Amino acid sequence: MPRSAGSRSERPRNGQRLRLTGGEPGELAIRALGLRKAYRSNWTLRETVGLESLDLELKRGQVLGYLGPNGAGKTTTLKLLAGLIKPTSGQAWLFGDSIEDPSSRRHLGFLPEQPYFYDYLNGLEYLRLAGQLSGLPGHESHEQARHWLGRVGLGSRPGLRLRKYSKGMLQRLGLAAALVHRPRLLILDEPMSGLDPFGRRDVRDLILEQKAAGVTVLFSSHILPDVELLCDRVAMLSGGRLARLASVDQLLLDAAHRVEIACRVSPRAELPGAWRESVKLVRRGRGASLVLGDEDMVGDVLTWLLRGGAQITSVTPQRASLEALLLSATEGVSSETERRSA
Amino acid sequence: MKALWIAHNTYREATRDRVLPGMVGAGVAILLVAQLATPLALGEGVRLTVDFGLSAISIVGLLTVLLIGTNMVGKELERRTIYNLLSRPISRSAYLVGKWIGLAAALWSVAAILGGALWLSLVLRGVQGHGAAVMQATYFAALELSVVTAVAVMFSSLSTPVLSALYTLGVYVVGQWSYDLRGLSEKVAPPLSTLMRWAADLAPNLPLFNMRTLAAQAQTADLAHTAIATAYALVYSGCMLCLAAAAFESKDFK
Repeated sequence: MPRSAGSRSERPRNGQRLRLTGGEPGELAIRALGLRKAYRSNWTLRETVGLESLDLELKRGQVLGYLGPNGAGKTTTLKLLAGLIKPTSGQAWLFGDSIEDPSSRRHLGFLPEQPYFYDYLNGLEYLRLAGQLSGLPGHESHEQARHWLGRVGLGSRPGLRLRKYSKGMLQRLGLAAALVHRPRLLILDEPMSGLDPFGRRDVRDLILEQKAAGVTVLFSSHILPDVELLCDRVAMLSGGRLARLASVDQLLLDAAHRVEIACRVSPRAELPGAWRESVKLVRRGRGASLVLGDEDMVGDVLTWLLRGGAQITSVTPQRASLEALLLSATEGVSSETERRSA
Repeated sequence: MKALWIAHNTYREATRDRVLPGMVGAGVAILLVAQLATPLALGEGVRLTVDFGLSAISIVGLLTVLLIGTNMVGKELERRTIYNLLSRPISRSAYLVGKWIGLAAALWSVAAILGGALWLSLVLRGVQGHGAAVMQATYFAALELSVVTAVAVMFSSLSTPVLSALYTLGVYVVGQWSYDLRGLSEKVAPPLSTLMRWAADLAPNLPLFNMRTLAAQAQTADLAHTAIATAYALVYSGCMLCLAAAAFESKDFK
């Protein structure tokens, strides 16, 4: 299928700047320019690059999914934006304020991967502390702490010490702590990690609720159906580099579409030689299925089948999955990185 | 203000830790031992009680700093609880100041409890006139612990818990014997003498806070000495926290 006009789906080259949205700087929740993080070993002095020249712009109110295999640089990016690690070079801004300035985090709600908490506190005390540190006055922090503890399903036992919380409860508490001061930007590192299906559904609902309220969300995840459901856009990382950046719809639209036709066909029927590369015929007893690599061929193949007396049972478009796209995007960058290092 | 929220949380952490009640118990036990030993003190029972009581505050306080203070920042890094704090609009220096205030406040509470227990034991024995001296000596002991806490916070933000405990203990020992070290440096050849002088100059002047002898005689230090010791404790702690903040500012929380 031809790419639609005005498509923003791009494969960045080295050092190329990518613009996620066409917004003015004032409309941007996140802006990163040449953001790079390298770690140097204290013993061998060897440098490992965690993130390489990231240019990223995220408009207010959008939800961006951050994808990539382990070690791709997802957590590094999120920690850089949250001020937990310092960039080796490059700059980034949250709502126009440099990430070097702690006040840039006043509108930020951050959930680290596998969050840890003070086990000597209870849920209510912890959320109050989180609210106070994010600038809520005393009484408001108490009210918001109660509200969010209830909202994430932990309100029935506000005095329970955190050391008695299960992993799923801690994840919910982390999310409540990220939301307690009603931030304008949420950065969530693997928010669904460690949750059962019910917990995942609750987190999904919370993110959708925040999206509807106009909160900008940047989250990393390995659970691709969730990303597909929640995100406006997706950034794919591999080997510390941005491999691809586009809207979810665009990514799926750009991908090759396959179509499967199930039918009853004569056992003697043979595919025309010109289609051998693009159509695969699989016989199953009296039936058969034809898998078309290009949906533009559907009309021609159906005409050929009907002329040959075949009975069509179904015609099913097979959409490329985000997983396949992720694998293809990250493999491309990995092999390029390998070639460069060879 | 945010440093005070960190301080409040650190105070809560310290007071809910099992170490602190254990230390208070140990301090009270030292006082009881002093009571039992007074018949053997040949008329110096009051001096013994005051000396033991004030020493208990210093020892228990030092142990608390070594067990909790030197582990304070390291534990947050190891358990990654620091992610939830520093991803909020709070500077790293405010975080360290809050940690120091919180633990120092916990140590002041311990000093107050043990100072109160010492005063009570004197009153129960019918000893009069030591109230002000014990109170002032307790204040000085708490000042000393605040300085040691700042040293612990500094090392804790730079190093592992075990190494910070060792370094803090080293600084405490050098600080306690800084006058002797300075005197000794005149009797040895360079470069050892220079090294000893530097160590004595850089370590905190802890004998400044030792009021045990005066308190045992029911005497108090004058206002000028109290003001100088208070200012010294604040300035020295401030310097330690500045060093800690400078090192902490560029730290990556991986």
